[in-house]
Order: sequence, then structure tokens, then C-alpha cells
Amino acid sequence: MSTTPEERLDVSMTINGRRYRSTVEARRTLADFIREDAQLPGTKLGCEHGVCGACTVLLDDLPARSCLTLAVQAEGRQIRTVEGLADGQELNTLQRAFREQHGLQCGFCTAGFLMTATALLEENATPTREDIVETVSGSLCRCTGYQTIVSAIEQAAAEGQNVTNGDDQ
Amino acid sequence: MKKLDKHQHMNTPVVAARSVGTRVLRSEDPRLLTGRGQFIADIDLPRQLHVAFVRSPVAHARITNIDLSAIRDADGVALAWSGKDVAAFCEGLVGEMAVEGCVPTTMPLLAGDEVLYVGEPVAVVVAESRYAAEDACELIDWDFEELPAVINMDAAAAGGPVANPQLPDNIGLNGGASFGDVSAAFDQAAQIVEGRFYTCRVSAAPMETRGVIADYEWASKTLRLWSNTQMPHYLKYMLTAYLGFPEQSVEVITPDTGGGFGMKAHVYPEEMLLPLLAREVGRPVKWIEDRRENLVAGAHAHEQYVDIAYALDADGKIAGVRTHALGDGGAYHMPPWSMAVEPWCAVVMTPTGIYDVPAAEYTYKAAATNKTPVGAYRGVGYMAGTFARECLADDAARALGMSPFEFRRHNVVREFPWTNPQGIVYQEGSWRQTIDALEEMVDYTAFLRRQAELREQGRYIGLGLSCFVESSGESSATSLEHGLADVYHDTATVRLNPNGTANVTIGLSAQGQGLATTMAQMAADTLGIKVEDVSVQTARSTDHAYGSGTIGSRGAVVAGGAVARAADVVREKVRQVAAHMLEASTDDIELVDGLASVRGVSDASVSIADVATAIYFDLDSWPEDFEPSLEATQAYDPSQAMFSNGGHAILVELDAETGFVRFEKIYSVEDCGTVINPNIVEGQIRGGVLQGIGASVFEELAYDESGQILTTTFLDYGLPTMDVAPPFEIHHLETPSSHSASGVKGMGESGLIAAPAAVLNAVNDALSPFGVVLRELPLTPEKVLDAMSFAKTASRPDEGQ
Repeated sequence: MSTTPEERLDVSMTINGRRYRSTVEARRTLADFIREDAQLPGTKLGCEHGVCGACTVLLDDLPARSCLTLAVQAEGRQIRTVEGLADGQELNTLQRAFREQHGLQCGFCTAGFLMTATALLEENATPTREDIVETVSGSLCRCTGYQTIVSAIEQAAAEGQNVTNGDDQ
Repeated sequence: MKKLDKHQHMNTPVVAARSVGTRVLRSEDPRLLTGRGQFIADIDLPRQLHVAFVRSPVAHARITNIDLSAIRDADGVALAWSGKDVAAFCEGLVGEMAVEGCVPTTMPLLAGDEVLYVGEPVAVVVAESRYAAEDACELIDWDFEELPAVINMDAAAAGGPVANPQLPDNIGLNGGASFGDVSAAFDQAAQIVEGRFYTCRVSAAPMETRGVIADYEWASKTLRLWSNTQMPHYLKYMLTAYLGFPEQSVEVITPDTGGGFGMKAHVYPEEMLLPLLAREVGRPVKWIEDRRENLVAGAHAHEQYVDIAYALDADGKIAGVRTHALGDGGAYHMPPWSMAVEPWCAVVMTPTGIYDVPAAEYTYKAAATNKTPVGAYRGVGYMAGTFARECLADDAARALGMSPFEFRRHNVVREFPWTNPQGIVYQEGSWRQTIDALEEMVDYTAFLRRQAELREQGRYIGLGLSCFVESSGESSATSLEHGLADVYHDTATVRLNPNGTANVTIGLSAQGQGLATTMAQMAADTLGIKVEDVSVQTARSTDHAYGSGTIGSRGAVVAGGAVARAADVVREKVRQVAAHMLEASTDDIELVDGLASVRGVSDASVSIADVATAIYFDLDSWPEDFEPSLEATQAYDPSQAMFSNGGHAILVELDAETGFVRFEKIYSVEDCGTVINPNIVEGQIRGGVLQGIGASVFEELAYDESGQILTTTFLDYGLPTMDVAPPFEIHHLETPSSHSASGVKGMGESGLIAAPAAVLNAVNDALSPFGVVLRELPLTPEKVLDAMSFAKTASRPDEGQ
């Protein structure tokens, strides 16, 4: 049976270790759910058509464009956003590396880069510069010229990133 | 009243550099890295409604009928307006610039009888949610008769169909000037080199689109407007001038902003409409632009032809330069900068560049077309002007059989101060040193050897050079010297707290440049305290310090000057009290490294924190007649135009199979005087150069014959990505300004200003075996392949030439 876009459906998901439940229109994007229903606005919308990568979150540990994902598609799944990265009230290794390498300027694209890099480092703790470029090239940045972002991810890898794995938040 | 032809000098303090010059980590970063930044889309007001626009789907049409009743009946809709509804409140925004030959236009907030470009707002809908507002937009019932779309600037400038009835000749701007004996230079030239260069239409495309939130309280007549604008104070003035909101009750609030690059340095119809809508519906209203809107309705940039000619004397010196720029201005002047922002700036700002040229002549013209209005993008006009000048320098070098380095060194200005033919004074610079530094960095001899070896293998690499002079610290003086009368000035407020920490407020909004960090460095060194003890508020609200806008590479210079001057007033208070406490003369007190010390007396000191505490809480510490204010507001506006300089050498390889330009390495030399923070300067270089690479190779806003824009997503409009971004080698030269605070010069625009010329020169260098010279951007794979195959079929080139 088909669902109309405006039909309201129950949805429940875990974001940064906390359960969120709501009733939303079928067409509601995961990005809008995260930003508005869950009140976690750190995930940004840069294009809303899946190209810029600013809205990238981890959906069951894999990077996903939350602007092209419907909230109802995340039913029962685990989501991580930029708000969950910090180590208590300290920047984690990756965030600190971005700061030290000047891997951000306006900061609008940064959440997407951090989440994609987090997934990369969880999968491959010792990526080469080429691995990083290959994996993270799907995100756009208009300020930095990218090289310092690559260096930041390299630094985090070299320092033995302590990226949290999502089950203790 | 006496006319001001020279600007007053405002003194700035001489201080010991402690944090200035060091790689202080940014105070902005922790909140931005943890998702705790607050951008405009992140702000929600209680009871807010959401706004969406119906935009024209056609380039040029007469509206014969417009009916919003279905929209108004739709679920969740609070209000819908068309052009007629809004015209009663505001006829539109006048766009003009006070330069010769500028014909003003009035841009309606919503289209009136005609739509003039795809994306022009036609109707606005206010609804309970953005989803509901966009649904309702679909219900518009309107009829229009299409009119001829004017899309070619050459044809438009020649007359024919009219793009905008306010400009019956299709000319928004037309003028020129001549300095020195240009005719003699060309009459007596041993050789004339000339070319027509084209910079394509692009978008600044900040990662964050535009956005506006308005909240109006009728009982107190209070308007609060959130906008991610680069010019909050100017926007506030426009809200009072155009819409009549009482100035004393208007506050413009600028949240964290995700890049601006000039696109956000305009006043847009949406910023005028939202306050009217909020007043009408009695609830806050919020509009966040989507990416398609940003690509069709945010200001476009760059599109113009620049015809340029050098008269070369028998010695290979440039004896005169003639420049003509023809810009495609789009359908209206974009307030406040107008169509002048490209063709006028391209020819008027630095026609001479780094070269000792005694005579210059220029003309400029802007044609109106049925395209999105053209506005500011990082280095307005400078990019196209530098592009033409530096690419022609390579043409001249080729014509004279000199290397690009030799030709530039042969013609570069060597003595400062130097006055160019327009009468603009360049106080200092490292123009020749830049050429030398770049030649050494690239190891030109080794490059030539490698280039020849690779050609033997059928691989084509090229090296392109581009040198720039960048006007920085946009000021009243800069304006006066270029024949305008625009007034710029900023204030800053500095307050020293009881524990010896400081709070600083500046009048400029920030878009990612790290102004909160660099301004803390300026304040800390002036006050003699640690940079981490200073907290800076950029212009989050127009209720605080005043500013003329974050434009024209003026942040570090102008806000920095105001901060240093305000901090200096507070510093004098601290010195007076410290002198009293130490029983010394105020003249002998120095504030450095957290201490107020008596010069030359090693053990006579008191901490600045103790002095501050004493001023707040200990009457005995006060000298006679002491006024215990540790808060000061001061203005700053530089007394002269000031110029940073530098250059880029870009190394590319052309893929002979695909025509793709691969960027191997960027060599950059930058001289922005005293460097406040090398991390931030280098970040500006890398980001600006990559935008220049984008504008040269990857980006173009394309239109079809009917005036339909074809590039409305990031799939069609290709920004540079990480996998094409080259590594950089950056070399700093420091020639401090003699009149700015600490000798700082601005440099935010030079990357984009100068990179495209280096890219084209590099590609042409790589193409040299094929005997083809390209002059038009973007350098698409098709153009590069054509250039390589044309020569192959026309005549087999001599591989070694």
C-alpha cells in the first residue's frame, strides 16, 4: 500500500545514544528531523540535493546524506551527529586536529567533513593521504582550499584518533 | 562647506608585538567544531512562520494576470503577496554608483508588470511551515506573454530588444578616462600587443545560502532583523530609509555566517520584504534560501570582456596601456554596488598593476541583459583586470622572446613611493622581490628542463605566473583617490575588566575570516595582556560598534585600527594609574607581557590585572582628577589607500586524452605588511586561489538561448572538490604599511584576484607546442582538447619549440 507524502507516520530512532520518537510526515527529511524535531542543529544543509555533504551524519556507522534520507527510513536505526563527537567537554582528537591545522574557516561544511572522516578513521586507522582524499572528496568546502582538511585528518590518524564508536553516548 | 580632498590621518599606537605575528589558534573553532555555532537557519523564534517565494521561470515576460487566491486558500497559509501588494510599501531598491555614466535602476521587491530574469521573485507566501509554504507556491495562477530574452552583452550594447525598460539603450554604465600621453605611446610604439579576455559568469556560492528572519512588535515599533549579511549597519539604514521603520528601534543581528565572499554584501529584496511580512502577519517570519534560489537569485559575478593593449617601446618597456571592459550586468543594478562592480572596477582599479607604465586610458561599459544581476565576488573587478593585464604580460613576453619572469622584472616598479598615471600613490611594496621569490620557488631552470623532457613523452605541463597589487582596507581615502566620494569608517569598543581581561566589540560581521581571533591579538598586544584573556564580539548586533561592512579586504586594517585606537585609550588609563601606584612618570610606563613596568627599572612593576582591580575597587590608586572609565570607543578610517602585493605561480598538466587541467602545485608569495596571524593569512590564500581555480576551470553559470539558466544545482555548477585541490607552498614577504595600525594590510581577496591569470598562463604555456593561445574562461576539457587537436590537424607543431 502506498503512502502519500503528507501522511503522518510514527518514527523512532537513536541519535547520539538518545532515543527520539515522533510522528512526522512521510516526506520529512532526516535532516529536518535531526535539526528541528531532535533540536540538534549542528548538522547543516548546504544544497538539499545530496552534493555538498554538509548534512552528512552516520547512519549505523556509515556516512549518509541526511537531506536525501527520509526520517522514516531511519526508523529503529542508530544515528551519530557532530554534537556527539566531543570527548566530554573537550574537543576529540579529530576536532582538535581540525583546529590546529586550520581545517575550517566559516565552519558551515565542517560537521559533514568530521562525520565522514570519523567513519573513515573507524574503518581504517592508518589511511594514506590518498585514502583520505578518495573518501572525503564527496564534501564541498568553499573556504579552505581543502589541503588543511586532509592534513587535519592525517594528524588525527597519526595521533591515534579516539573517535567514539557511538555505543557509549 | 569645504570639500574634503584629502583624508585626515588617525594615529594608531606603536606597541610591542607579542601575539601579533604568531599562529594563535582561533577562538571561533571550538563552537564550530562541535555543532554549537549558531547560523541563521539554526535560529527559531516562538510563533514564527515560514516564507517561500514564487520565482520567474522565464527570462523576460509581461505579466498579464496574476491570481493568488488558490494560494491564500491553501492549508496553513497566512499571507500571499504579489508585486502589486508590496509596491504600496516600497517601489523597489535603487541601484546606482556615483561614477560617470551610471544610469540607475529600481529593482522591485516583487516583479511588477514584467519579469526580467529567471529567478526574479514574483510572489511571496507565508505559511505555518516551509513545507506548507512551498506547497502553496505551486498553486499560483498566472499568465504571461514572453518577450525577447536579451542574453548576449555585445548584442545588447549595440541596441536591439530591450532587456529592462528602465534602460532603453541596454546600457547601465558607460564612461572612461585617460591619463598621460597614451596616444603618443601607441603612435610611437615599436610593437603593440593586445587581446580580448573573457571572464565567465560565476557564483560566489558560499556553503551557507542567504537567510532572513524578521520580528516586529507593533506596540513598541521595534524591528529585529536577522540576516547573514556582510553589511549589517548599511542594511539597518536601508530598512529605515526605504521602509520607514524608526531607526532607534531597528536592530540588525548577524549570526555565525557560512561564507559571504561578496554575495552577502548587497541589500536584497528578500531583506526588505521580510520585515513588511512580519508587520503584516504580526508574527516572526523566517526565510532560508535553498541552493537553487542561491544559484538563480543570489548575485552573480564576473561576466565580462576586457580588451587590453600594451604599447611596447623598442626596449620592451610598456609605454602605455589601453583597457576597455564590457560587462554583462544582468537585469538590474544590484544595490548598492551596481553594475560598476565589474567593468568599472576592472579598468579603474590598478590598470598598471606592478608595472612602471607612464600612461593609461580606459573605458568601461555595462550592458543590461535578462539574466540575474551581477554583484560582488571577492576582489570585484580586480580579478578581470588582473586577468587581462597578467595574461597580456605573457603575450608580450612571448612576443619579445622573454621569459614571463624576465618581462615582469624588466617592467616592474622599483622605486617607492610610486605614483601611477591616475595619481594613485603606492607607498611601499615588494613588487620586484615577489617576482624573484617566485622564480626561485619554482626553480624555473629546472622546470624548463622537466617541461622539455615531458614533452618528448607526449606530456604537457605548463607554468603560469600572475602578480597582483591589491587595494586593501577599503576606506574613504581609497574611494576619494579613485574618484568616488563613498564614506567608510568603523568603530570598536574595548573594555578592561576588574581581573585584567578585556572585552572587545567591532562593527564588522564575520563570515569565517577569524576576525574574533585576529582582533583579540590586536587588542591583547595594545593592552599588554594575553590573547586568551580577550573576548571579541564581531558585529552580532547593530546596537554596538558601527561598521561600514566586511568588504574590500578591510577587516584586519580597519577593525584592527579601531581596536588598537580604542585599546590605546584604555592603555593610557592603565599607565596613569600604574605610574601613580609605582610613583613614576606615566611616560615611563610600559605595558607588556601582563605587567606595567617602569622603563629601565627592572624591579618596578605591577601586574596589569592588579592595576585594573585597583581602578575598579581602590580609590587610593587613582591619581588626581582620574576619570575611572576603562571602556573606550574609537573610530578608524585609513588616511590613504594602501596596497598589499604578491603573486602566484601555478603548475598544471594537461591530460592529452581528456583535456582535463590537473593542478600540480601552487606557489604563492604574499606581502600584506605585518601578518597578524599566519594561519589565517595562509587560509585566505588557499581558499581564494581555489576559488580562482574554480572560476578558471570548473565553474560557469550557463544560460541557453531563451535566457533559461542551466546550472541550478551543485551537479550542474561544479565547485572545485578535494581531489582536484593542489598543494601550496606559501612564502611571506613583510613590507609594513607606514600608516595602518601595526603596519597591517588587508589580503582577503588576492587569491581569487590573481589565480585565474596564473591558471590561463599555465595552460597557455602547456599549449605552446600547439601554437594556440586561449583567452576565455572557463578552460573546459572541450576547449583544451580543441586547442590540442586543432593544432595537430592544422600543422604538425615542432615538438621542441
